[in-house]
This record gives sequence, C-alpha cells and structure tokens, in this order.
Amino acid sequence: MTDEARVQGEDTKALFLELAATRDTGVRDRLVTAHLGLAHQLARRYANRGEPYEDLVQVASLAIVKSVDRFDPERGVEFTTFATRTVIGELKRHFRDKGWAVRAPRRVQELYLELGKVTESLSQELGRSPTVAELATATGASEEAVLEALEAGQGYRTSSIDATDRNEETLASHIGGDDASMDTVEDRELLAPALAKLAPREQRILQLRFGQGLTQSEIAARVGISQMHVSRLLAASLERLRRSVTEAGAVERR
Amino acid sequence: MSTAGGQTATLAVDLSIPVQADLVVLARLTAATVAGRAGFGVEDIEDLRLAVEELCLSLVGGAKDGRLHLTYECEGDAITVACRYEDAGTPAGPPGQGADDLSLRILDALVDEHGRQIRDGHPSAWLCKRRSDQPA
Repeated sequence: MTDEARVQGEDTKALFLELAATRDTGVRDRLVTAHLGLAHQLARRYANRGEPYEDLVQVASLAIVKSVDRFDPERGVEFTTFATRTVIGELKRHFRDKGWAVRAPRRVQELYLELGKVTESLSQELGRSPTVAELATATGASEEAVLEALEAGQGYRTSSIDATDRNEETLASHIGGDDASMDTVEDRELLAPALAKLAPREQRILQLRFGQGLTQSEIAARVGISQMHVSRLLAASLERLRRSVTEAGAVERR
Repeated sequence: MSTAGGQTATLAVDLSIPVQADLVVLARLTAATVAGRAGFGVEDIEDLRLAVEELCLSLVGGAKDGRLHLTYECEGDAITVACRYEDAGTPAGPPGQGADDLSLRILDALVDEHGRQIRDGHPSAWLCKRRSDQPA
C-alpha cells in the first residue's frame, strides 16, 4: 500500500490532531509524503509556462510542507483545499519572480518588471493589492497596457488548452479527466495487487501518467518510445488492470 | 461598477470563442478587463484569470472543437462568469464531463463560489469571485 493510501485510510484529520499535540516529525513526514501527489498534479497543471516542470514540483512540494505545518484541523476546512490554495499561491509567486521565458515584446517585459516593483511598494503602502487603475497611474502606462503586461508576465501557457501538442492529445489527457478511477483510496487498494502484476515499464508509465500527471508526449520522451506507443501501452495496461480488478471483485463476492 | 452618482451598475459582457488553444487568452483577458474596471486588486484578478481558464477546461474535457460561450457580469463587489460549451454536433455529455477533482479543488481555492449544470442541453459552469479588498 502506498503512503498516501495508508495515511488517508488512517484519517488525515486524526493525524493532524496527533501532529498538533506531539509535533512528531514522523507524523509530519507521513502527511507531507501522502500529499506530494497533489503537488505533482498542480505543478503539471501549470507546466509549459517557461519554467522547468521539476522546479514547479519543487515549489509545489515545499508549499505542501508549509501547508502541513500551518494547517489547523479544527478550522473545518479540508486539508486538500487549504493545501491547493497554498500551492497555487506559491506557484503564482514563483512565476511572478521567475517566469520569464515569455516571448513578449521588450516594452511589455520592461513594464511587467516595473509593475512588479510598483505592486510591491503600493501593496505595502495601501495595505492591499493595488488595482489596475492605480498601477496605471503609478507607472504612467494605460490600463490596457497594464493588463497586457500582467497577462504576458505570467506566461499563461497552462498545460491544458494552451498545450503546444494539443493536436496529438485531447484536452482531457492534459487535465487528467481520465484519472477519476485512480482517485479513491479504495480503488488504489484494489489496484495495488493488479499493478504489481504488470511489467516494470508498464508500471512506470502508469506512475508517470497518473502519479505525476505527465502527458503522453512527456512520458514518451522520458521512456524513450513514441507517443503512440505510450498510448497503446497505457490502453493495454488499463485494460489488464480493469480485468484484474473485475476478477478480484468476482472472487471476493464468492 | 460605480457610477458618478455612487450607484452600483451591472456590467455585462458576452464572449463566444472556438475551442482553440490560442483563443483562451480572450477569456482570461476579458475577465481581467472586467475585474480591472470594477476595481479588483491584481491578486484577485490573477485568481480570476486562472479560475476562468479552469472553468473552460472543466467543460471542454476531451473535445477539440465546438464553442465556448462566456458571460461576465459584474455587480457590486462580485463578478460572475458563466460558461457554456456547445460541441460541434455530437450530443452533449453530462455537466463538467472534463472536470476532475483537481479542477474542483483549484476552483475552490480561487473563487468564492462555483457550480455546474446542464443549460439548454449544454454542459455549463459558473463561478463567482468577490473583491477581497476594497480600494480606498
């Protein structure tokens, strides 16, 4: 069983209560490890915006650590909701600071850099995030130019609709719409023995696709085979898993 | 939006775009422009852009064609964005057919409210973002 399945099975909230009471680093580590999948998923969602995927995973993973340290289980909010908010915030900050693989005209880049400085000073001065009008006044640019620079500055090439290889793959394969069957702990527990029966390469491809959320093209590059081949292997592996799970279910019902 | 008389008026904008990668920028920019005019802070605008894109993605799913119809309404300190997907001929699937848990989590994190439904036989979704800080 994976760490994630184990932790979720034991009740995340109970573990957070234990962490709050004991500050046990072992409990903390288990909670972090159990939610690294979310970091990968979110990093994947905002990949292809000029920053290396591995860097995004690192930023997102650190945000998970931060989330575990700051989460208050008594507040009545799901940890995943709290963590998603934290991870997105950290990724946005990361893009703001480093997201400069943008193919934008120099004037837009310069304005974006200026906006970064002005936003910071105005935020301190006003005690809130400045408006577009305030930024336009402070920089002497038009509101339209401010909006243009803010759009360009974030890269805005999320991995889904904006994906460059969209002709090869459907949008669903980018946004993970076909991952639903992997979502529940029950499914994972049921799948574990079936997964173990697959060849190591098939297991790896499934892990890259569903564990790390990579696209078929990215998996192809990693594994050194064509995207079509990845597609075929995924389909065959999923079919075998489906059959194994159905057979296991039939045995259990007997 | 505030008028000269201090009354709050509704600003409504409609947008229709083909499901095409390089046109999603229009959905984001429209959201940012409406929010900018309504005096939203850049942090809120940033969240709204990401949320609008996520909203579109959650509807489009595996489709490569069809159109997205978006309506932006700003009233008081809230912006509501409604999005309807019309496919190019094949029957409409259930609402949010492309939505996965991650989409829902992302929207939870970015906006105040969101939902999905079938509208006129088409998958539709909406979100509402309120201004988190008031300009002086």
